[in-house]
Amino acid sequence: MKRVLTAVLALAALPATAQSLDDLNLQVHGYVTQGFIYTTQNNVFTMDSSDGSPAWTEAVVNLTAQPAAKLRVGVQGRYFLMGNIGNAISLDWAEADYKTSDKFGVRFGKVKTPVGLFNEIQDIDPAYSFALLPQSVYDILSRNTWLTHLGGVVYGSTKIPNTNQKLEYRLFGGEQVESSNDPNITLGLQGTGITLPNGWTGPMWGMALHYKPIPSLMIGASDTIFVTTWSAVANWNQPSGASIQGSNGTPPSQNYYYFAKYEKNKVMIAGEYLRNQYVSWFKWPTDPAANSTSRVDQRSWYALGNYKLTGKLTLGLYDSQSLDRQQPLALAGIPNYARYSKDWTLNARYDFNQYLYAKFDQHLVSGTELDYDTNLNPHGIKPTTKMTILKIGVVF
Amino acid sequence: MRIRIFAFLIVFAALLGTTPSSAQVLVIANPSVRAASVSKNDLRDVFTGISTSLSDGSRVMPILLKAGPVHESFLSAFIGKNDAAFRASWRSLVFSGQSSMPKSIDSEAALVEYVAHTPGAIGYIGRSVPHEGVKVLVVR
Repeated sequence: MKRVLTAVLALAALPATAQSLDDLNLQVHGYVTQGFIYTTQNNVFTMDSSDGSPAWTEAVVNLTAQPAAKLRVGVQGRYFLMGNIGNAISLDWAEADYKTSDKFGVRFGKVKTPVGLFNEIQDIDPAYSFALLPQSVYDILSRNTWLTHLGGVVYGSTKIPNTNQKLEYRLFGGEQVESSNDPNITLGLQGTGITLPNGWTGPMWGMALHYKPIPSLMIGASDTIFVTTWSAVANWNQPSGASIQGSNGTPPSQNYYYFAKYEKNKVMIAGEYLRNQYVSWFKWPTDPAANSTSRVDQRSWYALGNYKLTGKLTLGLYDSQSLDRQQPLALAGIPNYARYSKDWTLNARYDFNQYLYAKFDQHLVSGTELDYDTNLNPHGIKPTTKMTILKIGVVF
Repeated sequence: MRIRIFAFLIVFAALLGTTPSSAQVLVIANPSVRAASVSKNDLRDVFTGISTSLSDGSRVMPILLKAGPVHESFLSAFIGKNDAAFRASWRSLVFSGQSSMPKSIDSEAALVEYVAHTPGAIGYIGRSVPHEGVKVLVVR
């Protein structure tokens, strides 16, 4: 990470020695959000939401400069708190972007991974109407895994000759790195007695294509392949403290996204389908009989719409579903509703001015396939949850 | 049942969607920009951060007004968004590392001055505003 930042800063400094700050187009932007969540039945997002919880705060600072006409460098940091997660400052991205023309550009460093319809902006609250994007595809607790990678993105667009149709492409590759305390790891392994003290890491690559037959319509697809490995420690059984080797890489894991968005005047309609396939295996060097393999074939989709009722008020709704087809229909101790999650949401966003906005979401959730913190639901996880969210944001 | 309600609301909203109003707005550019005209599609792509050049290959840089009726008219006529949605779309690019925010100018007179002296700059003003030193692009 330090090498990434050093490279970015060095690139920024190269042509900039005799330039004024104005010539560099130095910009600072940021935003702060504060959310409040109330739920019935279950506590969610590692917070005591059934009592109403304000434990959802984000603050982002963004710094960019343009030391040359085709070169832009930038860095973004974030403070994030959600329930028991985060409460720390992290680096969102740090990159250098060289764009020769609309047809070709390259970005490298810690960069956003350009997959799906909203992956690059799922953590940017001012960019969309909803307080929570459809969790079937954009699970807030596991988003760190998919948001960025260390490496690069090659991108561009081209018009199809003699038409108004446009084709956009993104090719990306690098390394996926996840820390040991990421909720995707801690919640995913909760109750197994296994920890990943070094997180996980591994190469990843993929591509995305966007086709615009008319300016207001975009149809796209993306595919990501990743091979992650980890070293785990067993905290009980087999015996306690035993080291375990694991991987999601044989065969390589894949995420397929198919999506479309129509946006014109006051209306935006979008839909997306995600298939997340991987095989996890754990090998116990001291006890091969305990080796295990688990398969995940998660299929998720949503359909959403926004309507700008007035210049300041936007209304939205979505239907979102997720299903793990590899989970058996009937398994001792695991209810059937644990293999799916459905969320029907109504939303409103009010923009007081260009700096201040507020959001309201009402979610009706059934199924518990998305991770719930069992420690915060000691009486068992119930099949349905109603979730009310109020959120306020300031952006500059 | 939910799907039917959802479909009905979407169709209803689409029917209510109105076309942008005509704008008394001039699109201006620095004399270094080769084009004499610009398509609505190109103009929208440039001012939403999708493109950095016009169809003739001219590399351009969008300059915005901070606020006001001319700004609102331009957005309505050529971008198809209100100010809140317009800024949200730029912020999605800025905060995801895909772009920097375009420069915003307080007044139309200051915008003319900036465009006149900045190669590649392209902006918009009211029809009655003096605009010496810049070229006017016909929007087709």
